[in-house]
Amino acid sequence: MSKVEAVKALVEAGKSKKVADAVQEALKAGDKAQDILDAMVASMGVVGDKFSSGEIFVPEMLIAAKAMSKGVEVLKPVMAGDSSSSLGTCIMGTVAGDLHDIGKNLVVMMLESAGFDMVDLGVDVPAERFVEAAKENDNVVLIACSGLLTTTMPALKEAVQTIKAAMPEMKVIVGGAPVTQEYANEIGADGYAPDAGSSAAKAKEIIGA
Amino acid sequence: MLTAKQNLQETIKGGNPERFVNQNEFLEFVYEVPMTSYCPGPGTEIVDEWGILWRWPEGQLGPFPVHDAENKVIKDITEWKKYVKVPDHYKNPDAWTDAKEHAKQIDQNEKYVTIMFFPGIFEMTHSLMGMEDALMGLYEEPEAMHELIDCYTNYLLDYAKVLVAEIEPTAIYQHDDLGSQISSFMSPDVFKEFFLPSYKKIFSFYKENGVELILHHSDSYAANLVPSMIEMGVDIWQGVMTTNNIPALIKEYGGKITFMGGIHSGEVDFPEWNEAIIKEHVDRICQECGKLYFIPNLTQGADVSSFPGVYEAVTAEIDRISKEMF
Repeated sequence: MSKVEAVKALVEAGKSKKVADAVQEALKAGDKAQDILDAMVASMGVVGDKFSSGEIFVPEMLIAAKAMSKGVEVLKPVMAGDSSSSLGTCIMGTVAGDLHDIGKNLVVMMLESAGFDMVDLGVDVPAERFVEAAKENDNVVLIACSGLLTTTMPALKEAVQTIKAAMPEMKVIVGGAPVTQEYANEIGADGYAPDAGSSAAKAKEIIGA
Repeated sequence: MLTAKQNLQETIKGGNPERFVNQNEFLEFVYEVPMTSYCPGPGTEIVDEWGILWRWPEGQLGPFPVHDAENKVIKDITEWKKYVKVPDHYKNPDAWTDAKEHAKQIDQNEKYVTIMFFPGIFEMTHSLMGMEDALMGLYEEPEAMHELIDCYTNYLLDYAKVLVAEIEPTAIYQHDDLGSQISSFMSPDVFKEFFLPSYKKIFSFYKENGVELILHHSDSYAANLVPSMIEMGVDIWQGVMTTNNIPALIKEYGGKITFMGGIHSGEVDFPEWNEAIIKEHVDRICQECGKLYFIPNLTQGADVSSFPGVYEAVTAEIDRISKEMF
């Protein structure tokens, strides 16, 4: 197994205590930082697919994302100044009136692992706050809005419509238990992901990455 | 005419029920028992006996534990003993006076003397440290997680001994949400390793000490955990959502466990609810699931709804369809 493949396997298995050393070893062996990063991103893609298909569960996805972040920490100084690996900034939050954060946190991890720079606004985020955050941050290419409750579906609609009114070109992705593709279309979102596992692929598709 | 209790027994044993068991009609909740403190309503916050800060913001349907860095009880699972102080509030005999009085007045021909117990074991782990830490701990620090779970299990067993002596309950309604609407939070194997043995121990104790019925609440997907529920000694899984394919579960496990729920609170219990929506949901689930091993009920659990009138409207619709189908 090559050093890069070893990193990939460790991320997929969620071995966060071993990944940093494995990345160091791969760098010492001459592997390029970008190749190592790509391998880890690919691992998280596999993890996301396995989660979507029900093969793995939330803990396995969490430890894989944690393992990847340990690997990225090692790569960051090596890749400093190289912005080619970033897909841009994504603003994310759970909409107003909704305090659920687990699904939102999982999506933040998956999008970060895919190469987005994430700005997490937390829970109970008013519609206008998404717009403000998009203006405050650089290179924002996507806004992700989460809503778990049937009762907060109107807030999801308001968030999407407020964003689109202020920033018509901004791409918006939505998700959460009561959300469907039909509802996403109805409220004017650019995309919808049924679960955290498929969110990264959908986000990349929306921004054309 | 069968009493509510007899009709329940016919339903869960595959006999001849006269009507659908209507939601919680066979249970009387003794809410006065000394549970850990709970936010009384929107706009309040409390620190419970375990040190967990609960906050119920205005406009929300319930309280949430607060898990910012400052307020997490367990900041490092490997040092949980440093942070966790096991409460003993329930050992004060005066704390049981109202509950005892209530229990005495229950007509046990009609209803079970029921204690709703929360948080569940999994819920306690994430209430103490946050969902992410609790779930990752199962993989990254399994030994410490086992120790913490054993600690809470011992607390639950100690509590059970006092509860049985004071109240003599005949039904336990254990709250422990084990999944999202579409998947369980953990794999069946992880559940078996960490949680099943503890529940088995606790439910066995109850069954050996006068409790006739164990209900487990999880308003979620948890179809993959049903074999574990059966092994734990659960008689009724309350909160089963339609995402579980309830008719298939009844076909596979009916006779070993009964499924209670099927009326998704999120789809009927909201400010703009009306009778037509409720009728549609009640009709569909009752027709799909049939008369045995199924109890139509709002998935949220307990004998309440979030918005006034919904619980009662569901009850009325179940009465109506009972007359049509039986």
